[in-house]
This record gives sequence, structure tokens and C-alpha cells, in this order.
Amino acid sequence: MIGPLPRLHAVTDDRVVAQGRVVERAAEMASVAGAGLAVHLRARGLPGSEHLGLAKRLASALAAHGSWLVVNDRVDVARTAGARAVVLGHTGLSVRDARRVAPGIPVARSVHEAAEARAAEAEGADFLIVGAIYATTSHPGRRAAGPALVEAAAGGLPVIAIGGLTPGNASAALEAGAWGVAAIRALWDAPDPAGAVRAFLAVLPGTTTVVVAVNGESRTVAEGTTLAGLLEQLGLDPRAVVVEHNRHIVRRDGLAQATLAGDDVIELVHFVGGG
Amino acid sequence: MTTTMAPAFQDTPLVVGGRTFRSRLLVGTGKYKDNPTMVRALEASGADVVTVAVRRISLDRTREEGILFHIDPTRFFLLANTAGCYSAEDAMRYARLAREAGFNEFIKLEVIGDQKTLLPDVAGLLEAARTLVKEGFTVMAYTNDDLVTALRLEEAGCAAVMPLASPIGSGLGLLNPYTIRTIKARLTVPVIVDAGVGTASDACVTMEQGVDGLLMNTALAEARDPVAMAHAMRLATEAGRAAYFAGRMARREIAIPSSPTTGMLS
Repeated sequence: MIGPLPRLHAVTDDRVVAQGRVVERAAEMASVAGAGLAVHLRARGLPGSEHLGLAKRLASALAAHGSWLVVNDRVDVARTAGARAVVLGHTGLSVRDARRVAPGIPVARSVHEAAEARAAEAEGADFLIVGAIYATTSHPGRRAAGPALVEAAAGGLPVIAIGGLTPGNASAALEAGAWGVAAIRALWDAPDPAGAVRAFLAVLPGTTTVVVAVNGESRTVAEGTTLAGLLEQLGLDPRAVVVEHNRHIVRRDGLAQATLAGDDVIELVHFVGGG
Repeated sequence: MTTTMAPAFQDTPLVVGGRTFRSRLLVGTGKYKDNPTMVRALEASGADVVTVAVRRISLDRTREEGILFHIDPTRFFLLANTAGCYSAEDAMRYARLAREAGFNEFIKLEVIGDQKTLLPDVAGLLEAARTLVKEGFTVMAYTNDDLVTALRLEEAGCAAVMPLASPIGSGLGLLNPYTIRTIKARLTVPVIVDAGVGTASDACVTMEQGVDGLLMNTALAEARDPVAMAHAMRLATEAGRAAYFAGRMARREIAIPSSPTTGMLS
């Protein structure tokens, strides 16, 4: 998988999408969490071109902070919008078929039982969305399985726990073996989404972030991000850009060794037309 | 029966910093209305050397490709410039970034002293030239048409001195043939006039002063038909060079008839 899987996942549903301002709210969250955040676009109610349009705008807004766009079900939209991962529902495409549509993009499976988790692992999924851990009004029909489901599902693949997760109960899921947590209402319905993100980040491991300046713009990246990782996040080919890190030019073969620290100043330049 | 005639004029190549170029016309890649027009204009100009600038890449996902998407670096020699630099420190920084792109060690050094006229800051220019030469760059220095500055730049180790014909983008043509001729007469390194050429006659007149080459950008990019103008400039550059070597007639302030004055009818 390209880059570490974010620990915090903000999942939308048709209701969240219908509220509007999805891109603006996602950008607010992304500016706080940077590479520690993945925003899932789940929008079954949207017609194709609107779905794609929203996905593209989200991808653009999130990429600036290093946050992931994850598209649910619509592998075609994921590919065209440049999503960082795709999530298949239990009745969705097979992992193999999804990879044929969108090669090179990590594929996750959404599962509700341990057996489904095993099956997803066997078919080569990259990570799992496991729920519902707690009761949630987002899925009123689904039985809350508790953190034990995380324990049962956790095997070789990273598990993102979903279903009624809050900053208050996230640690139980983590102790049961979850890599991270996903939330709908706790983030999108919060009066202060950025504050809600901070509250989650405080209980999630390894999501320390640093703030650097890239081409004059402030950017939050996960601690430990290297220049190579930054270029990856930005979708830049290292052969197409010259990198200056705190006024030192970094050669291409040194990009993976240069770790970003807080307040670093990075300039990424290339040749343009000129006289 | 065919006769093989020797060509009326055979020019020698332009040699700068140990590299040889067939064309004495160097062309910029900025300000064209679109990339296909630019590419066609570069082709029509016959130029071997094209200049490029160094700028931040856009981080937006909708970014346009860089210039190398449109120009083949194996077909053209890329001469990076330090356009937009107002201090020696900035110019050196940009030059080092340009060299890191990995094409060559040439730099068209610009250190600007005034935003309105874009005239060079001579002190900064000399400082940057000296340092960059020491760092192994092949420095081609954009300068004003002052002989003393030109001599100092040559002393500093520049591979070429590039005095302006008139301010960048002005299209005013060659304002002072005397200073350009003087610089050419006194310098050993190539003298390539950079900036201010507006149309073909400007290019021709400038080459007639005996300089080694010309660099232009706006004259092509802002022509109504850049491709046609590039063609015209190619011809004009060659024409001026040939006229220079042909050795022009003397100028006189009186008229002297071209036809015999004897044998007139009574």
C-alpha cells in the first residue's frame, strides 16, 4: 500500500452528502489531520456525473493536505478521480475484478462477521472496514457486535473499526487490534468538525503530524513522512521536479531518506516557458 | 548541363562554452498563446537553443504539464534562465536548482535591478557570475550595453556576454548599434544580443553589427503569427550574418550615381 493507511476515517452517507458543503467540511478536517485522515465518499444516491464531480473536487481538496480520498463501491469513480483507495461492500465486486477496473489502488472490503473478514483476506484485500462495533443510527438494522468483532476479524490485514465510534470509545476498538477507526456522525454531525478530528487524533496512535511549508503553502503531514512520501502524496513524479529542502537541493536518490520536520520549508520546482 | 556553384555564403557554427550550435538564433519559450503554437514556432525558427525558466510546480491536481511535456530535450538544448531574480543570491539559488534538473551546466544569468525596465543590477550580476563560474557553471550573462560591464563579465569567466538591444519585451529593436559594435570588437567570448528585438529587420540589423547570435522571445510569442515570424527571424538572422561578412558599402551624405555619367544623348 502506498503510504501508511490513515488511522481516522470520515465516512459520508447520502444524508451527509445531501447536507452539502462536503468538500469544505472535508478540507477543514484534512487541514487538521493531514495524512492521518481518510475521507470516504459513499454516495449511492448520486447520479454518475455528480458522483464523479464530487469525488474529483474532494480528491483535489484532500490531496493538498496529504489526506486520502477513499471511494466506496464505485471503482470506476475511484480510478477516474484519483482516489487513494476503494472500499467494496459485501455484495460488491470481487477484489480481483475491482483491481482490473482500477489497477494499483488499494482495495478494502467492508465486513460484518469474522468469516467475511477471512474471505476478504483470502481474496487479497488490502485492508478491512469492520462493523458495526457499537449501535449506530446510520445502520439501524445492524446488530452491535462490540470490540470482540474487531478481535475476531483482526488477522493479517489492518482493520478500521466502524459503527458508533467516538473519541470516548475508540480506545476499546484499538485495544482489540484495530488499526484505526471510522465515523460518520461523530465527525460530520459535530458542530466543529476540526475539533472532533482533534479529539479522535488524541486517542489514536501514531498520528502525530508536523506542519511544513510546501511551495509557500502550509501543509500538515504525518510525522515520519519523507520527501519521497510527500511527492507521492502530491502525485508528483520525482523525475519531473527538483526538490529544495530548507534551502538545500535534495538529489533524487536522497528523497526517501529525508524526513520532514516541523516548520520545514520545501520548494518543488520545474522548468516552465520563459525568455 | 548543371553547374555546381559554391554557396554564396557559408557560415560557421556558433560555439559557446565548448558546445557547438548550428543556429545563431536562440529562442525563448515564454508567453505563447498555446503550446502547439510555441512548438511550431520553435521549429520554424531553426533554433537549437531554447530558454526555459525555473518556477514552482503547481500542487493543484489540475496542474498543467511543465514545458518538458511539450519540448523534446534531445531535440533542443535547454538553456535555463534566472528570470525574475533581483539579487545575486536568488539568481545563484535558481541556477543551482536548474542544474539539478540534470540537463546541462549552462545558465542564462539574469540579475534584475529595476522592475519597470528590467535592466540588470550590474553589481549583483558580477557577483553571481563570479560565484557560478567557480561552481562550474557555463554562464551566459544578460547585461546592458555597457562595454565596461561586458569586459568585467568576460574577466569573471562568463562563456558569453549577452547585451540587450533594448529592454526585455519592448520590441524597440537595436537602440544603440555603436555600443553593441564596440562590445563585439573588444570581447573575446561570444556576444549574443538578448532582449528587445521586435521584428525581422531588428534581427538583421543586429546581426549586421557582427555579433555572434541573437536571443528573442516576445518578438515571436506576441507576433500575430508566431510561426511566420519565426520563419522571418530565421531568414533575417542569416541575412544579417551574411551581410556582415559581405562587408557593407560606405555610407555617404551625398549621392553618387550608379549608372555612367558619360555617353548621355545630346
